[in-house]
Amino acid sequence: MGKREEQSMIKIKNIKKTYTKASVSTPVLRGISLSIQRGEYVAIMGTSGTGKSTLMNILGCLDKPTNGQLELDGVNVHGLDDDALSALRNKKIGFVFQQFFLLERTTALDNVLLPLIYAEKYPVDAVKRAKKTLVSVGLEDRMEYLASELSGGEQQRVAIARALINDPDVILADEPTGNLDSKSTNEVLEIFSRLNQEGRTIVVVTHDRAVAEHAQRILELKDGQIINSVANSKLKNSSDH
Amino acid sequence: MTRIVRITRESVRMMAGNRLRVFIMMLGVAVGVASLTMMICVSKGAYKEVMDIVNRQGPALLQVRPGTDRHTGLPSGSRAVVSLVEEDVNAILQHVGNIHAAAPVKDRKGIEVKHGDKFTLTRIFGIIPEWSEIRDFGPSKGEFISEEDISFAARVCLIGQTVKKNLFGDTEPIGQTIRIKDVPFTVKGELKQKGVSSAGRDRDDRIVIPITTYFKRLFKDIHLSQIVITVEDTSNMDKTVEDVRAVIRERHKIAVGEPDDFAMRTPQDLIDLAYAASRSLINLLTGIVGVSLLVAGIVITNIMLASVSARRNEIGIRRAIGARKNDILSQFMMECIFISLMGGILGTILGFGGSIIISSLKVAASKVTPTALLASIVSCSLIAVVFGIFPAKKAANQSPTNALRA
Repeated sequence: MGKREEQSMIKIKNIKKTYTKASVSTPVLRGISLSIQRGEYVAIMGTSGTGKSTLMNILGCLDKPTNGQLELDGVNVHGLDDDALSALRNKKIGFVFQQFFLLERTTALDNVLLPLIYAEKYPVDAVKRAKKTLVSVGLEDRMEYLASELSGGEQQRVAIARALINDPDVILADEPTGNLDSKSTNEVLEIFSRLNQEGRTIVVVTHDRAVAEHAQRILELKDGQIINSVANSKLKNSSDH
Repeated sequence: MTRIVRITRESVRMMAGNRLRVFIMMLGVAVGVASLTMMICVSKGAYKEVMDIVNRQGPALLQVRPGTDRHTGLPSGSRAVVSLVEEDVNAILQHVGNIHAAAPVKDRKGIEVKHGDKFTLTRIFGIIPEWSEIRDFGPSKGEFISEEDISFAARVCLIGQTVKKNLFGDTEPIGQTIRIKDVPFTVKGELKQKGVSSAGRDRDDRIVIPITTYFKRLFKDIHLSQIVITVEDTSNMDKTVEDVRAVIRERHKIAVGEPDDFAMRTPQDLIDLAYAASRSLINLLTGIVGVSLLVAGIVITNIMLASVSARRNEIGIRRAIGARKNDILSQFMMECIFISLMGGILGTILGFGGSIIISSLKVAASKVTPTALLASIVSCSLIAVVFGIFPAKKAANQSPTNALRA
């Protein structure tokens, strides 16, 4: 268990990640430490190839660091087996990806229900919950549409609803607006802001400063290290760019 | 809803979304299972046919034929082997126990028979009255050969149904005269209809006459085509066979160590013979079935592997949102099992249908049997597990980060 006095939702210490291919080692993360508080909205910025997505995968327990410690809501993730990590992802983390990653020939509603399939217990009111979540992202009239029939913005909102269905502690979003037009981008960012106001911890990885500026804190990543961590002064004054 | 039920539903949902793939995999299994079902039905049919012959002849029938090759067992006339004579029959009746009845038989095929302007070639049997009971081959009309007919070497005969049709058409044959090799015979009766033998011979295409008449008036000969014997107690068949052998060997003065100049055939030999004849066919069929099941399995593995790589993102997202490796494994295994079972059901229906067609077209005997059903269930389950596990494992072991690459 983590220390009481710290309310860290995510805490990483000296995380390193090195990919080794044919005895050539490529360090991607070179020792990153950071702490994200419960209810915080953090953006991780950096150009492509700086290790943003790798960091994101490690935060989301999809990948294991070569070195270092990761604590999620006070639980040291190190040493958990694959099944335990799956359960952790299911319960505590909601993922949003640049490519949406919805099941194509599947309705919006079934896509949102997907995480519940792997939940410890399937709630009796699963469908009701899924519908409510879809309403909350403004898709009340798209529930029975197949994912492939929806626009990019709508697909990403379905993905957000899917991330939310299990009431996770953290939303991890990897370039969530990377494939969206500006209107859809604004819709998605508004949803994130609202979720954060409701107390949800949100981590967004992006290369786009306009997107990052919706967060309370911006971390800049370069060459596998955090070079800058600043509180966002311009918060709340815009959602356009 | 328990986890496995949820995952099963997920499996079904994903299959419903890709019907063409499912259909092709199903077809592969169906072809394999159909050929398996048909093979079993056909071999069961062959077995049943043999058993029918044995049952028709009765389990008590023992046949002695001249010559040494018990497996050819062809009637003489087509062969120059001469060893059995009527005295052998008498000796058997006299010296061997457990004998119910014994009869000498002489037959020859392709004999010309005329009635008026009608003409046919048929098989002539010289027999004694006991033959009727031993071979269950009595008259359907008129009377059978009597002891008196034997004593006087009477020119009387009974005709089979095919001969009747050929010579008389719809007219009444009894009391009429036919000419066998230009010797006139009076038709005394008609033989019961017997149908086609296992060797494909028309058992109604024959005429029976007293054996004495055969030897005195048709062919100057004394050698028998066979001796037919029925035993009293079939459980003692083996001993009786040995006793009969000993008696004939002694009569034929065969020295110890010399081979028999005759061959004996029991119902068991008949079964063995029939099996020997169909074994190579069944071996061939088994090979074909094995190959088609293997092909079905390869189709499953192949298409599942393609499907696993096509569904990389699906696997990745499932893993990301909390699916365990085992959940992915179960989902993919479940697909294989469903597809195989559906293919199995389709294949069984096709196989049964095919075997019914085969037997109705008289291509081969075939019998619809529960064994075939069991075998197809077992084989399609095995296909699912054996050929599905590798792709399913591959799916389960994909690292989520790899699987989520765009």
